[in-house]
Amino acid sequence: MSTDSVIKIKDLDFSFGGPKILENIEIDIQRNEFIGMVGPNGSGKTTLLKIIMGVLTPDKGSVKVLGNPPSQSVQEIGYMPQFASFSRDFPISVEETVLMGRLGKTSSIGFFNKADKRAAEKAMNDVEVLDLRKRVIGSLSGGQLQRVLIARALTCEPQIMILDEPTANVDMKVEKDIFDLLKQLNERITIIVVTHDIGFISQYIDRVACINRTLICHPTSELTGETIENMYGAHMHMVHHHHEDEKN
Amino acid sequence: MNSFIDAVSTQAFMQNAIIGGILASVACGVVGSYVVVKRIGYLAGGIAHSVLGGMGIAYYLGRPPIEGALVSALVFAVILGWVSLKMQQQEDTVIGALWAGGMAVGILFISQTPGYSVDLMSFLFGNILMISSDDLLWIAGLDVLILLIVFLFYKQFLALSFDEEFARLRGIPVERFYLLFLSLVALTVVILIQIVGLILVIALLTLPAAVSGQYVRSLNVMMLLATVLGVIFTTGGLALSYQPDLPPGPTIILVAGAFYLVSLVITRFWKKA
Repeated sequence: MSTDSVIKIKDLDFSFGGPKILENIEIDIQRNEFIGMVGPNGSGKTTLLKIIMGVLTPDKGSVKVLGNPPSQSVQEIGYMPQFASFSRDFPISVEETVLMGRLGKTSSIGFFNKADKRAAEKAMNDVEVLDLRKRVIGSLSGGQLQRVLIARALTCEPQIMILDEPTANVDMKVEKDIFDLLKQLNERITIIVVTHDIGFISQYIDRVACINRTLICHPTSELTGETIENMYGAHMHMVHHHHEDEKN
Repeated sequence: MNSFIDAVSTQAFMQNAIIGGILASVACGVVGSYVVVKRIGYLAGGIAHSVLGGMGIAYYLGRPPIEGALVSALVFAVILGWVSLKMQQQEDTVIGALWAGGMAVGILFISQTPGYSVDLMSFLFGNILMISSDDLLWIAGLDVLILLIVFLFYKQFLALSFDEEFARLRGIPVERFYLLFLSLVALTVVILIQIVGLILVIALLTLPAAVSGQYVRSLNVMMLLATVLGVIFTTGGLALSYQPDLPPGPTIILVAGAFYLVSLVITRFWKKA
């Protein structure tokens, strides 16, 4: 089992020059695992994802993605950022948006080629947005846009998908649809998803990675009432602090 | 109007002016669309105005002002690009300082140039009626260069203007392409200075693309429509200014501005209906 590890992190520390954001991180993610990543805001989730994608370099420790340093494997990772890193009135169609995912895989000069268009078509088909391909992104509903962003992450035909709160802006029904879709994709792709709604996704995921500077992993089988209570306990504690801050 | 058509069919300077307007519209349609969707009109304005520094120095040294404009536009594009990447907090202040500083340098050099005083107004407000065949060659050459770069790096520029963060994660060297893009803005500014002068450049750079952006669903079509609108604005401005003998540069800008306002009202009204 340990021979097919896709992401292996050992003894990792990271800081932006000041206090440690991440400390002593160890995780070994196996092929076709479905990992849920939880933690309060500012706990280092996004930082850890950026290290895995080679955008940030750790102070200490080793990171291997598909057996290589992250910068060499980033083309094998499909990434779906948190909503709103672009303007929704940008004149761009669904198809063109999805094609953006081919960057880094396609030739570096000229226009997108036939292979890119085929990959985009397949990705749009997988997430059921093919009929929207000519629509401009500003005309999509929240749920449709999230699917388009998943398609964009899929067009590079990744071995790993990383999704940063894919359901932060959609209702429960759409959230369930999206996680059903991810579960299907999980048959061929290793998935890491950042979320706040651990209670809901526990039926989909294999393990939960709880991050708050350090990382503790729980298999979902261990996710009994007590562990959930503990996790939520920590969570509610943080919320409590926020409220206090606001009052002061 | 008839006398304008007569002038176009008989006078070489009028033909040059029309051709100059068309060639300039290509650059401002393509590059202006990026400027509008990326919302860097202020940065582009900074490049346009600081170019007076280079033109003044070139004039002082007895070189053609367009050479000074070309060099200083590229230098300022890189400096301003670096500032906007590295000093995001003070970006607008630094752009403002370079904008005004560049102009001040230009005016000082022009004032110290011996001989009869240069027509400062033609630097500032351009004179499309004075465009020579040599100028047209320059403009055409810069057009070709701009289009070549945009075709080669179409994907990167689209990614950069649409979603910079995602582009970076896909391994695009975002900073390098941003500076390359600002260099295209610089080249476009140099072209447009010939047409409307550096004060009015920013209007011709952004207004055709802004009007176009109200109607289109893709960046390519936005560029195409903006180019067509640029031709309409420059030719229309020339025609309107000819009979009453008005300066063409400001007339062109007012035509573009009026078009933009009317279009803004129409699209607002239309979307509500």
